Amino acid sequence: MLHAEVVDVSKEKIDIAKAQKFIISSKYGASIYFVGTVRDQNNNKKVTGITYDTHDALVIKSFEEIHKEAETKFKFENIAVFIEHVKGYAALGDASIIIAVACKHRTQAYEFSRYIIEEIKKRTPIWKKEHYTDEESVWLKGNPIKTS
Amino acid sequence: MKIKLELFGASRDFSEKDYLEFNLKEKSSIKDLRQEILNFVDNNFKGNENYKKLVLSSTFCSEKNNIVSDNYEITKQQKIGIIPPIGGG
Repeated sequence: MLHAEVVDVSKEKIDIAKAQKFIISSKYGASIYFVGTVRDQNNNKKVTGITYDTHDALVIKSFEEIHKEAETKFKFENIAVFIEHVKGYAALGDASIIIAVACKHRTQAYEFSRYIIEEIKKRTPIWKKEHYTDEESVWLKGNPIKTS
Repeated sequence: MKIKLELFGASRDFSEKDYLEFNLKEKSSIKDLRQEILNFVDNNFKGNENYKKLVLSSTFCSEKNNIVSDNYEITKQQKIGIIPPIGGG
């Protein structure tokens, strides 16, 4: 069971309560919530916020592929997964991503959640423009996507 | 044929709009489109080396939301997305 969405922060915020509502069930004995937030420093620069840009269709496709791969890799049964990422401007402390995973046991939940965030960082088409207190904003360098 | 190039990430600095338009010959490929974008950078940004590196390290996304290689043939008027190196959220 997967919920995957890109949320435009000019219209709504991502909300851990929504994640909780999606994954809650007495079938599960363990729930993990990972929340990525905007921090105030990067590469010795004082960050004031980040603008996230996304290719929405590719992001959803990527989330679905990663979820499917994780299911194949771990072979856990009955897992609920909630993934939302923001697009638009996020201020310091704002959440940029929520990944919630619920399954039978805690080890499974940790492994599944970790796999998802690490793969998103490697290959999901999301870009970040960092804003600073006294320097020009810059798009952060990333990793090229491989073509098959 | 007219190609609407949708801009993402750092390539958004190429225009105040969120797309660029190019006229390509029939039976063009992504390789040809990439060259057109490089020409655009030469003509509009004095060959800005960082922009050219960005174009050369980018991949492209078809209208059907598939990542496509340089050999991909563009056979009709369509939207193509430029996918610069990704930050991964």
